[in-house]
Amino acid sequence: MPHVVTENCRHCRFTDCVATCPVACFHLGDDHMYIDPDVCIDCSACIPACPVRAIVEVIDLPPEQEFWIEINARESKRYPVIRSKLAPLDGAEARRRELGF
Amino acid sequence: MSAHFSETRTVRGACPQDCPDTCAFLYHVEDGKLVEVTGDPEHPMTRGGLCVKLKNFAEHHYNPDRLLHPMKRVGPKGSGQFQKISWDDALAEIKARWTEIIAEHGAEAIMPHAYLGHQGTLNGLTAGDAFFNRLGSTVAEKTYCESGSSTAWIMTVGPTGGLDVESLEFSKYIIVWGMNMLNTNLHAWPFIVKAKANGAKIVVIDPVKTRTAKQADWHIRIKPGTDGALALGMMHVIIREGLVDKDYVEKYTIGYDQLSLRASEFPLQRVSQITGIPVQDILTLSREYATTQPSAIRQGVAVERSPGGGDAIRAITCLPALTGAWRHVGGGTVEMPIWEFPFKFDFMCRPDWIKPGTRVINELDLGAALTGQMPLDPPVKSLFVYNSNPVSQAPSAGQIVEGLKRDDLFTVVSELFITDTAKYADILLPATMQAEQYDLMVTWGHLYVMLNQPAIQAPGECVPNIELFRRLARTMGFDDEYWTLSLDEMLMRSYDWSSPQMQGITLEKLKQKGYMRLNVGMPDVRKPHAEGNFKTPSGKCEFAASAAAGGNFVVSVWRSGYEAMQPATFVDPVPNYIPPVETEGAPSAGKFPLNLVSPKPHAYLNTQYGNEPTQQRRQGEQIIVMHPVDAAARKIENGNYVRVFNDRGAFEARAEISEDVSAGLMMTNVGHWPGLNRSGTAVNSTTPPRHSNLGQAGTFSDSQVNVQKV
Repeated sequence: MPHVVTENCRHCRFTDCVATCPVACFHLGDDHMYIDPDVCIDCSACIPACPVRAIVEVIDLPPEQEFWIEINARESKRYPVIRSKLAPLDGAEARRRELGF
Repeated sequence: MSAHFSETRTVRGACPQDCPDTCAFLYHVEDGKLVEVTGDPEHPMTRGGLCVKLKNFAEHHYNPDRLLHPMKRVGPKGSGQFQKISWDDALAEIKARWTEIIAEHGAEAIMPHAYLGHQGTLNGLTAGDAFFNRLGSTVAEKTYCESGSSTAWIMTVGPTGGLDVESLEFSKYIIVWGMNMLNTNLHAWPFIVKAKANGAKIVVIDPVKTRTAKQADWHIRIKPGTDGALALGMMHVIIREGLVDKDYVEKYTIGYDQLSLRASEFPLQRVSQITGIPVQDILTLSREYATTQPSAIRQGVAVERSPGGGDAIRAITCLPALTGAWRHVGGGTVEMPIWEFPFKFDFMCRPDWIKPGTRVINELDLGAALTGQMPLDPPVKSLFVYNSNPVSQAPSAGQIVEGLKRDDLFTVVSELFITDTAKYADILLPATMQAEQYDLMVTWGHLYVMLNQPAIQAPGECVPNIELFRRLARTMGFDDEYWTLSLDEMLMRSYDWSSPQMQGITLEKLKQKGYMRLNVGMPDVRKPHAEGNFKTPSGKCEFAASAAAGGNFVVSVWRSGYEAMQPATFVDPVPNYIPPVETEGAPSAGKFPLNLVSPKPHAYLNTQYGNEPTQQRRQGEQIIVMHPVDAAARKIENGNYVRVFNDRGAFEARAEISEDVSAGLMMTNVGHWPGLNRSGTAVNSTTPPRHSNLGQAGTFSDSQVNVQKV
């Protein structure tokens, strides 16, 4: 099942995920990454790469988080694909500490 | 959580699966338990990621259904009723039954059946060859996959690796021909993504709009089994429009005049009519392919799975020599680079032990061989299955089941689980999984030597295949030195370590690093055939193949090293188009008007992992993809359960109505366990037991069926 980027990505956007993705399915939103579900091939290479554990496979999403499926599907079509890592957003390190990672 | 200081360690390994990617593993072990398996971030292909199939690989080792002890059948054949017995009793029973069979019918009445359920040097395709050659059994021809391509490739360019998939990064025009790479060659895809970012055009030729086709710049829909006509049509355009690299052709090929004459028989209108591809598209493809260098073709195994599949591979393999694409880094074609590895098959398979005149039975003819449809003297009285699951993977599965039910057939199966085939065993033997065994992996999709080291103890009484055959050899009284060598001695003798491509590579270094690249040039400079150097008898790319004189043959690695008793049927020296048998206009088309193709699943590796609940959720149930027009004509709606059938058999699936397939074509996946499906059957109940024109490959894609709502 495809993967989705969830809340922890917001204000961080570390983009380590992008470097591990074999199919270039990540799209760069303003303060959040999104996965194109039609391109993701379910390999999970990105999950351990994310410093804030924002990426989840759909079958592991709790029901109250399932809204992320639609958000990723929609927003990934709006934003450009990104193929290489960028500098994290300002405050990303602080956010990571706040999230406990 | 309790305070607990566990001992953790990491062991280097390699993926055991029949996949071109052979990933570098890191086994993560805590207190003797395998907790996770990850991809090695340092490996240039694996790049730290595995795939959807391998995601639960650590848990797979602890699946509660694993076969852990030898078992003996106690109920009717196929009932699944078994009782635990000791290894000694299992071996004694095998010896008693085989001794009796050999006395009455001769050893040829025993047939092994194996394929690539494991891909190691010690435990893989050839693991049992030496034993069965020594025993004097029938030689089993293992042509499930790649055999047709092997024959075609070797006839045309010889045993060369061809283009390195890592060099695809430098290509400007890439044709992925008959391969859903995102499902079955994932770790080569990033090189195509890079090429695309650098401006390359990506073309996918496939009857189905697959995940890979959706990522391409251009998807060309082709009717199944007509690839040879398209390749010959491309040649026609390339020759007619003067796009041939005449200097390359003159220096490094033979048979150009004959090929040119053959190509002239394939004008655009004819090719369009055969393939279903518009004339303008064939023109554009041919021109762009010939004039955009470096151009590359990634050939998939799917091309061989039709009656003319062998010649299609030959024709496609001729293309880069015609255009001179081989001159460039990133130019040429890749089919299976395994030929760069210096195997010593004479040691691995011991064909010197085969008695002259020993018969050969092709594994894809198993149903006919077991049921008497194929006249055999002696009949097959015992079947020994390992590394394979013919009830799911071989064609005409219903006939195989009928044969396996024979009371006079003594069946032994070595397995990880009680599969649909293992259910029919008289004796079951438990095999190890990859984290529990040592092996040097055989890779066929990249150029790295990969060592797998054991990370955990084998559970119960499971043994690696090499140990299985040593036990059998001792049981049968074989006292050769061969059965006593250490595993490292076996590996030292299985490869030519002094060959140029192995320079600097040693087992000791592999134990440290896990993998090492063959010395065949780095991807950014490698041009293996810039100046010819083909591995054919002439040293040139053979448009007219000298090997055709001996007729059709199966490369000896697929038949235990045996060179004799080849099919030897006629082979045209110049590739031709051989049409499908089951297609529009065929006598069967009235009753069974739809063509069915059955590519590999996304979340399973053939049938492996098809019994894992998490993987089942990822794969979903058996579906059949059909075009809206075909569905409407049968009043089938999206999500309906349907029965897919022909004269050979039937299976049930959930209909998915989609324009990803053309009208008249349906697609389902092989690999779902028949016994876990609604109907107790799967797609190979309906596939034909015929062979491609080369290498005795199966023709799984040449199958007509009909479908109705259940």
